[in-house]
Amino acid sequence: MGRECTRGRSKPMDSHLILRGLERCTFRKFLGWILPWIALLAFGVYAAGRCLVLGLNQTNMDNRFAFGLWIFLDLTIIALGAGAFFTGFLLYILKRSEMKAVINSAVVIGFVCYSGAVCALFVDVGQPLRSWFTFWHPNVHSMLTEVTFCITCYLIVLLIEYVPIFLKNRKLRQVPSFLVFEHELHKLTYVFAGAGTFLSFFHQGSLGGLFGVLRGRPFAFRPELGIWPSTFFLFILSAAAVGPSFVLLTTWLVSKISRKVLVRQEILSQLGRISGILLAAYVFLKCVDTLIWMNGTSRAAGFDVHEFYTYQPFGVWILFFEIVVLGLVPAAILLDSKKRASMPWLLSAAALACAGVALNRFVMTIQTLALPTLPFDRFLSYWPSWQESATFLGVAAYGVLVYSISFRYLNLFPQERELAADAAARREVRR
Amino acid sequence: MFPGVNGFHWTAGHLIFLGVFYSVVAVIAATLVRSLLRSRKDFDTGKAEAIRWREDFSDLPARDRKCRHELAGEVAERLCDNAFDCRTCLMHPEFERARATRAIKPALREGALGFPLPLDRFYHRGHTWVKPQPDGTVLIGLDELGKRMMGAPDRMELPAPGTRIRTNGTAWLAGRNGARLRVLAPIDGTVLAAHAPDETLMKTRNEAWILRVRPDSGKPNWKHLLYGNEVSAWMMKELERLQLLRSSARSAPTLADGGVPVADFAATLDKREWDALCGEMFLEP
Repeated sequence: MGRECTRGRSKPMDSHLILRGLERCTFRKFLGWILPWIALLAFGVYAAGRCLVLGLNQTNMDNRFAFGLWIFLDLTIIALGAGAFFTGFLLYILKRSEMKAVINSAVVIGFVCYSGAVCALFVDVGQPLRSWFTFWHPNVHSMLTEVTFCITCYLIVLLIEYVPIFLKNRKLRQVPSFLVFEHELHKLTYVFAGAGTFLSFFHQGSLGGLFGVLRGRPFAFRPELGIWPSTFFLFILSAAAVGPSFVLLTTWLVSKISRKVLVRQEILSQLGRISGILLAAYVFLKCVDTLIWMNGTSRAAGFDVHEFYTYQPFGVWILFFEIVVLGLVPAAILLDSKKRASMPWLLSAAALACAGVALNRFVMTIQTLALPTLPFDRFLSYWPSWQESATFLGVAAYGVLVYSISFRYLNLFPQERELAADAAARREVRR
Repeated sequence: MFPGVNGFHWTAGHLIFLGVFYSVVAVIAATLVRSLLRSRKDFDTGKAEAIRWREDFSDLPARDRKCRHELAGEVAERLCDNAFDCRTCLMHPEFERARATRAIKPALREGALGFPLPLDRFYHRGHTWVKPQPDGTVLIGLDELGKRMMGAPDRMELPAPGTRIRTNGTAWLAGRNGARLRVLAPIDGTVLAAHAPDETLMKTRNEAWILRVRPDSGKPNWKHLLYGNEVSAWMMKELERLQLLRSSARSAPTLADGGVPVADFAATLDKREWDALCGEMFLEP
C-alpha cells in the first residue's frame, strides 16, 4: 500500500504498470511497506512447513481439541470475507449500482480471505496429499463435505471474478485479447455473482450447521429447522451482516494508510446501513435461539445453562458481550442515520460488528470444545503453539501482500481518481 | 466421487445435494466456456476495437463523459451513456430537432481562444479533426489543443495504407519520453496514406494532416462528430478541463483569465504528469 509520496516530480519506477491518474508512492517506499510482510510470510511458510513435514504434533491440538486457532480464525475470516458475495449480490442481483465503488475491493478481500482460509486448511488437514479424498470419497452425511465443496467452488468463483480486475491492469489491458475476454467475462458476472451467493449461502450455513448438529455437545447443539439446525441460518445471517462492515473498515483503513479518499462517505454510510439492518435481524434471531436453547434444548439434554458458564474465563459475560456489546450496540448505531453520518461512530460500530462475529466463531469452536460433557470429562484449556500462530500470521501476511499489490497496480476503487482531485482542492481551500 | 462410494444411497436427499452441487459447477464451467467462445467470436468479427473503446469509456471519470449537448448549453446536466456515439443515441435526434429551432450561440468570438479553431471541418472528442475533400476522401489530423498537448512525439506508429480504422478505435499511436498514447479514430474508413508531419509544419499549419482516409460508405454518418458553433463551446470546456486537471493536483481549482496553452506540454511536464494529462484529454484511461 504505502503512503502517498508523489508530491512534486518524484515518480515510481514502475509507473508504466500503474493506472493513469492514480497516485502511488515510489517503488522504494512500496518495497519498504511489503518487505516486513514478506518476512512474516516466510516465517509462516517455515512454520507451516514444519507442520507438514513433522506432522500435527507441532500444534497444541489433540484428538479432543481438534479445532484450534486455525479453524477459529478460518471461520472468522470466511465470515468477514462474506462482503464479497454480499456486495456482488447487491450489485449484480439487486442492481444497487452504488456498490460499484467498492465491488473490486470486496472481491479482492473475499479472494484473500477464502484463499487464505484454504491455505490454512491445507496445513490443518494433516495429510494434505490426501486432501483430494474429500472430493473423490465424500462423506455425504457430513456437513464438512458441504463446506469443502462450497468453499472450493466459491474460491474458483472468486478467482474468476478477480480475473477481470486483474486484466484491467494498465499493461495487460493493452493486450486486445485480454481486454475482450475481460469484457465478455464481466458481461456474465451476474452468473458468477448468483453462483457465489448460492455457494456462500450454503457454506456459511454449513459451517454453522457443523456445530449445531453436535448432539454430544449440548453447548452447541441446536434443534433443527427443516433439515438444518438453527446455527445454519444464524451463521449465514451473521456473515451477511458483517461482510459490508468489513468492506467498510478495510476501505477506511486503506484510505488512511494511503492517505487518499477512495470512496464517497455516502457509500460507507450505505454499507453501514445494510450491515445495521442485517445485524439487527441477526441479534433478534440470536436472542430467540439463545432463549430456546436455554429453556428447552439444553435442559432436554440434561444441562442447566449456568453450568456452561461456570468455567472461567468463559463466564456469562461472554454471552452478554457477544449479544449486547458486539451485536445490539453496533446494530443500534448503524441504524441511526445521524450516528452513521459521523465517521468515528460508523467505524466503531463496524469494528464492533466484526469483533462480534469473531467472538461468536470463537465461542462456537473453542468454548464448545473446552467444556466438559460427560461426568468424567474435565474442562480443557488450549493455547496455540508458535507453529500454529506463525502459520496464521503467514496467512495474514499473504492477505496484506495480495491486497497491497492489487491496490497498487489495479483499479480497486473506481472513484479514486475523481475524489483525489476533489480532496486536494478541499485541502487547499481549508488552508 | 461416484454413487456407491462411501455411504451414497439412491435417496432424494443425496440426489438433490449432489445434483444441486454439480449443477452449480456445470453453470460455472459453462459460463466460463461461453465467455471464451464469445471472446473468440468478437475477435473473428472484428469487434475488439469497439469493445476496447467501450471499456475505456466506462473507466473514464464522470467529468470526461459529459454529453456534447451539455457542453453546448442545450441541457443543464447530462452524462453520455452511449460511448460518445451519437449515431445510435436515442436522445440525440431530439436535441438536433431542438437545435434546428434554436441555434447555438457562438461561444466565443473568433480568435478568442488564442489559437486557431477552423470551423470548416468536423471534430472528434478525442481531439482529432476530419476534413472532407472534394474527391470523397477525408483528411484527419490533430486539433490545435491536441497538437500542443502532444508536442513533437519521439515516435509515431501510423497505420499502413489499406488498414481499416473504426470510430473510437486506434487511429495511431504516439510516444513521448517513454510514455505511449493512443489517438482515437474519428470515423470508419480505410487508410489511403499516412504521414507524420514534421515539427515545424505541425506548429505552423492547421492543415497538417496525418491520415488520408476513404470513408466506409459513400454517404458517411458523422453525427457523432462536433461541428459548427458547438465546436468552440466544446473547446472552451476542454480548456477548462485541462486547467482543472493541472490545477487540482496541488491547489484549489482555478481558471486562468488569460494566456494560451504552451506549444509543447510534454516539454514542461514530467513523463508521468504528461501521461496522466494526455490520458484524460485523449480519452484513454
